[in-house]
Amino acid sequence: MTATPPPVPRPGPTRRRALTTALAAGAAVLGAGALSGCGAAQAADGSTVRLWDLFSGADGGLLNDMVRAAGPDMPGTGIERTVLEWGTPYYTKLAMASAGGRGPDVAISHMSRLAGYAPTGLLDPWDLDLLAEYGVTPDDFADAVWSRTRFEGRTYALPLDTHPFIVFYHPEPAARAGLLTKDGTLDTEAFGSPDAFLAAGRELAAASGKQGIAFGYVTDSAQGWRLFYGLYRQTGGVFRLPAGGPAEVDVDRMAEVIAFMAKLVDGRVNPRRLDYPAAIAAFANRQTAMILSGEWELGTFRAADPKVGAAPFPTVFGTPAVYADSHSFVLPRRPHPDAGHRRRTHRAVAALLKAGQIWAGAGHIPAYRPVTETAAYAKLRPQADYARAQSHVVLDPAVWFAGAGSDFQNAMCQVLQQALLGGLAPDRAARAMVRRLDTFLSKPSPA
Amino acid sequence: MSSPLAPPTPGPRSARRLLSPGLLFALPFLVLFAVFMLWPLGQGLWMSLTDTSLSAHSPDFIGLDNFSEAVRDAEMWRALGHTLWFTALSTVPLVAVALGMALLVHTGLPGQWVWRLAFFAPYLLPVGVVGLLWIWLYQPDLGLYNHLLDGLGLGQVAWLSDPSVAMSAIALTTLWWTVGFNFLLYLAALQSVPDHLYEAAAIDGAGAWRRLWSITLPQLSRITAVITVLQILASLKVFDQVYLLTKGGPDNSTRPVVEYVYDVGFTGYRLGYASAISYIFFALVVLASAAQYAALRRREK
Repeated sequence: MTATPPPVPRPGPTRRRALTTALAAGAAVLGAGALSGCGAAQAADGSTVRLWDLFSGADGGLLNDMVRAAGPDMPGTGIERTVLEWGTPYYTKLAMASAGGRGPDVAISHMSRLAGYAPTGLLDPWDLDLLAEYGVTPDDFADAVWSRTRFEGRTYALPLDTHPFIVFYHPEPAARAGLLTKDGTLDTEAFGSPDAFLAAGRELAAASGKQGIAFGYVTDSAQGWRLFYGLYRQTGGVFRLPAGGPAEVDVDRMAEVIAFMAKLVDGRVNPRRLDYPAAIAAFANRQTAMILSGEWELGTFRAADPKVGAAPFPTVFGTPAVYADSHSFVLPRRPHPDAGHRRRTHRAVAALLKAGQIWAGAGHIPAYRPVTETAAYAKLRPQADYARAQSHVVLDPAVWFAGAGSDFQNAMCQVLQQALLGGLAPDRAARAMVRRLDTFLSKPSPA
Repeated sequence: MSSPLAPPTPGPRSARRLLSPGLLFALPFLVLFAVFMLWPLGQGLWMSLTDTSLSAHSPDFIGLDNFSEAVRDAEMWRALGHTLWFTALSTVPLVAVALGMALLVHTGLPGQWVWRLAFFAPYLLPVGVVGLLWIWLYQPDLGLYNHLLDGLGLGQVAWLSDPSVAMSAIALTTLWWTVGFNFLLYLAALQSVPDHLYEAAAIDGAGAWRRLWSITLPQLSRITAVITVLQILASLKVFDQVYLLTKGGPDNSTRPVVEYVYDVGFTGYRLGYASAISYIFFALVVLASAAQYAALRRREK
């Protein structure tokens, strides 16, 4: 080992060095990615309120406008939106982030999902005193919606809007069919019973020259249930779901509603097998004069017919009830919330609620009443025509397994589709729904 | 790292024997295997004995309650049934069609490489692309298949919304997507059948069919067994294409057990119960594999 060492080669691109460099670069990229991921999740900037929502498309644009309009009401605070795709995975992501205490500062959730969230400790309650400081009090919301925000005496959700299931119509065929009142709104009296509703459908079909009423439900995981539950609550039948079961429901009235729905999509007067996009297209292309749909499609319909009319869902079975849900602000759980940041979050949400006039442009009914009571809102057509639906909305039953994007709604829709499309008898369909309800009730609540 | 001149000490040597080069080479893999397989396996088993849910509450140990609930859960058995039905529906054509295609290509269709590429290419597509593509092909009015059927005057088929057709439609998609892999295995096996067998048979005056039945197929029996085993295991874990094409519908008629686990755990938030179901499925798959293995061993003897 005394020989002189060979001359040290000049550092050049050897294979080993290249590999090492590549590895180091890869690690740096990975590390940077992980760090920036952390940054996004932990609000690097203290003055930024991070919001998770599910509004893309036109709704998303309007929410951006609202954030801008709310700016002067929350000096020094910015809102950073993260838009996630609407659907079951949204709630999975929200629940997972909240369970780990690493959710956003505030998130949008459907009110109907609250029963599965608040009792499980995934949400923190809102501080009503703090909100009152920024000019938002419980009196500013419709009772039908506000009552659902509470759990064990505390408020877990602040409603942004109510989005009811309503009817849209093209004014010309509706006028020809004699279904408009003098002031040009829909004569909902003419739809006041199952027979009257079906007769009105025939008149609309005659007036449009094609078909009457579109309803898209095939392979949809919510539409059938939306129509069914709204109509069922109009019958005044009980729908109590005690923990553990069995469900206390009126099977005869359920069958009555299902029979009516099956007659509605008869395939002669009204189209029979429409899925959701096909129904939208049928109405937009004037294949039908009316559609049963959520108000959130207003933008689409107005693009096709600037004069499109809308009305609250008619009272077919006696008791006024309109199926609806509500986008609301919730506070994902934080084990150790920062008081200053919570205050900032309250202020930002209060400012957004006050900018609700912009939100009405999407068709949604702003939940913050000072907005809907303005003259500017009264001029919005057709939004103002269905705003009164807000006073008798019904949301999904307040049980942990129900709500928007839930397996429960999907299960109910599957039975309803068999009744509407597959010839399952209404009474058997009703019993099948009760059986599935009992199965859901028999499962232990995750709370 | 000791100098070659230093007297060997007993310590390092036993350590070196313990850390044999083979083990050292396998170590990175073993670490990953432990972190990403063994630990989650243990964690999942523990979860299945608790009422863990996606909530802020800490879970309680509930013994075998989840398992006894699962055994009585009709939906779980139904989903298991769908998985088995899909396995049967997909494995048979995936083996038979792959063999047919390999034989055709091997027996000298002109332009072999085109066929090889065409048959194997779909296998390279990610499942998301396959799902979106076939959703369009299956579209009720504008889809290619219904368009063709209409053109032939055969009427339309509700490919994905008719409970009696949907599973077959998914199996068809799977066939198109993954048959290329089995095709490639068969092709390789065909090329290794010794030519002298065919020459001898030809001298004895055997025709093409005789050679196929008496030489090719028997020579392929081992690879057929391997392909069948691989295919059954692949089909049992079906989830992605079903989730993309039908989300388990219509009326849950195509929901495989893996999707049921996903639904229970991630949309129903009952992680503990979902774990229990996946362990039941795991046990059934292990049983099936053991049975297959035993059957193969017996045949080898």
